[in-house]
Amino acid sequence: MGTVHARSLEPLPMSGPDFGALGEEAELVEVEPEAKQEILENKDVVVQHVHFDGLGRTKDDIIMYEICDVFKAKNLIDVMKKSHEAREKLLRLGIFRQVEVLIDTCQGDDALPNGLDVTFEVTELRRLTGSYNTMVGNNEGSMVLGLKFPNLFGRAEKVTFQFSYGTKETSYGLSFFKPQPGNFERNFSVNLYKVTGQFPWSSLRETDRGVSTEFNFPIWKTNHTLKWEGVWRELGCLARTASFSVREESGHSLKSSLSELAGYTGGDVSFLKEDFEFQLNKQLLWDSVFSASLWGGMLVPIGDKPSSIADRFYLGGPTSVRGFSMYSIGPQSEGDYLGGEAYWAGGLHLYTPLPFRPGRGGFGDLFRTHFFLNAGNLCNLNYGDGPRAHLRKLAEYIRWSYGAGIVLRLGNIARLELNYCFPMGVQSGDRICDGVQFGAGIRFL
Amino acid sequence: MCKALAAEPWPENAALYQQLKDEQILLSDNASSLAVQAFLQMCNLPVRVVCRANAEYMSPSGKVPFIHVGNQVVSELGPIVQFVKAKGHSLSDGLDEVQKAEMKAYMELVNNMLLTAELYLQWCDDVTVEEITHLRYGSPYPWPLNRILSYQKQWEIRRKMKAIGWAGKSLEQVLEDVDQCCQALSQRLGTQPYFFNKQCKGLTFQYRRLVPKIRPTELDALVFGHLFTILTTQLTSDELSEKVKNYSNLIAFCRRIEQQYFEGHDKDSSSSATSRSAKRSLLR
Repeated sequence: MGTVHARSLEPLPMSGPDFGALGEEAELVEVEPEAKQEILENKDVVVQHVHFDGLGRTKDDIIMYEICDVFKAKNLIDVMKKSHEAREKLLRLGIFRQVEVLIDTCQGDDALPNGLDVTFEVTELRRLTGSYNTMVGNNEGSMVLGLKFPNLFGRAEKVTFQFSYGTKETSYGLSFFKPQPGNFERNFSVNLYKVTGQFPWSSLRETDRGVSTEFNFPIWKTNHTLKWEGVWRELGCLARTASFSVREESGHSLKSSLSELAGYTGGDVSFLKEDFEFQLNKQLLWDSVFSASLWGGMLVPIGDKPSSIADRFYLGGPTSVRGFSMYSIGPQSEGDYLGGEAYWAGGLHLYTPLPFRPGRGGFGDLFRTHFFLNAGNLCNLNYGDGPRAHLRKLAEYIRWSYGAGIVLRLGNIARLELNYCFPMGVQSGDRICDGVQFGAGIRFL
Repeated sequence: MCKALAAEPWPENAALYQQLKDEQILLSDNASSLAVQAFLQMCNLPVRVVCRANAEYMSPSGKVPFIHVGNQVVSELGPIVQFVKAKGHSLSDGLDEVQKAEMKAYMELVNNMLLTAELYLQWCDDVTVEEITHLRYGSPYPWPLNRILSYQKQWEIRRKMKAIGWAGKSLEQVLEDVDQCCQALSQRLGTQPYFFNKQCKGLTFQYRRLVPKIRPTELDALVFGHLFTILTTQLTSDELSEKVKNYSNLIAFCRRIEQQYFEGHDKDSSSSATSRSAKRSLLR
């Protein structure tokens, strides 16, 4: 018996090779039959065995769950379809580097005439893999080293250790991930991390040590995530010359939050924080694009404890309101920016190709000229007043800026900008960057 | 300290920061805070005491108390004395070089013996640690942060004790050291009102007569801060305060300074920490 590779769906001729119309004189040569070929398309088949080659530490039971559907196939097309689905399921477990499927007719003593054997040839991932990458964020860059132990105990558990060293933050974290056998979408993970960050615009140093657990489960057709996070946050002054307001915030606090609501399950930091972003792009004549964006956010402390400097919003910089120094808009004390509890920021942009289109069709396409108008405000709200008063407060002392520059797109994610800015509406205390300003990042206003 | 800053007069709103008085502050920190308060009182510089749970972390050196004067932040008695001197106030100006050296030596003695003994008792004596320190130190913080901070501090103090060779000492030995320190102080004080009795300019009205002014020095403030706190703090046992009580001139010294510099002030200032009527418990 031959082997059928499940690749082509073309039906094979019923009888042997068609020699066509040959003369009577043609000798019938004894030709070794190549294969007993039949049209198997609508033939009922039974999958008798499923073999696995290449399993090492993976436990049998989780494999069984993923491939059990293969046994239910009734005809060849179905077998091929279900095997393909099983292959996808095995790959998404994240424990195999490669999965190949072979469908063969059954051999052996107990073989049925329409019996099939399906063999999965798998290559498990190595016990330990390492990775190194660089990441670019908003005006910061970092190196990330990762160590991964896939399939640690044989049931698709994964332990990851990550170390990241960056211009603003250094962090390391350990995470453990376990899916439910048979139900990969239901999984939970536990994370331990420590992040140390420095924020020179506030003369603030922050160390967060946290643990979080996350449960993912599908409900109906959607995926839900329930996450609890507990963070021990330590704030300190970055320099001896930090303002007293920042010095007053030094110390420790505990934040316990369930998804987005902080303070509900304990700790001494309680607030509700909301943040939104809108963006609208419209293509105009001659390859130019008009873009409008709006950001806003509000932080409402719960109870009588005031909000902490590390939770507040910050505004300003080459990636938000251009023409101002990094996070240097809003309430400040002796040069240290304290952030605010409410903000809004908007931008209007016109992107055009470079004048005279140098490097057209190649490198030059990555660049664009950019005209912008940015505006925004950051302040603390008096929660006793009504929404009218809030809007009024956000509308007074608007900072805005305009200018032009060049934008370079890196891949589909990051962007570099070099702009000449004219900041306006500057309030006392804001730090501006009029003239040339450079920005690199992912999220720009 | 540049001349320009020194020229600024002492502001009205100078503040001294320490931990929360009733629930949080420990013996050693209370003693240090009281010493600074006494010193500033002796210099006639007004300061208000502000209690914050995170005072220790606000301090630039990590130790309490610290003062916020104008926009300067200075912590611990030594630097505060220097700072105040730069502003033109000094208690030890009238001393000659030999006396100044002697004063420094006695201040070192208090810091190395008394303060270390207080730290030992708070952080290395298991009974005190369990019953008092762990409950007080992290009390403003929620669980489990209160436990974590307390254990972290204990580990730090124990490491320091090991470094200076006190880790192997028993409680009896530590109390012996306290006794010896008190003996040295008592002998130096003798029957005089203060440790150094240099007569200063001016007269003061005392006992219905005009007598030459004798002013205390920072050593007096430091000794007062520690001894008074030891005498008025309730711990798990009275052993520590008994050691001080053996020396009657030290008790009289504490009473004298309290009467002269703390009584008659409003509740908000340090006087509420110095009531001597009952054995006021600063801890428990």
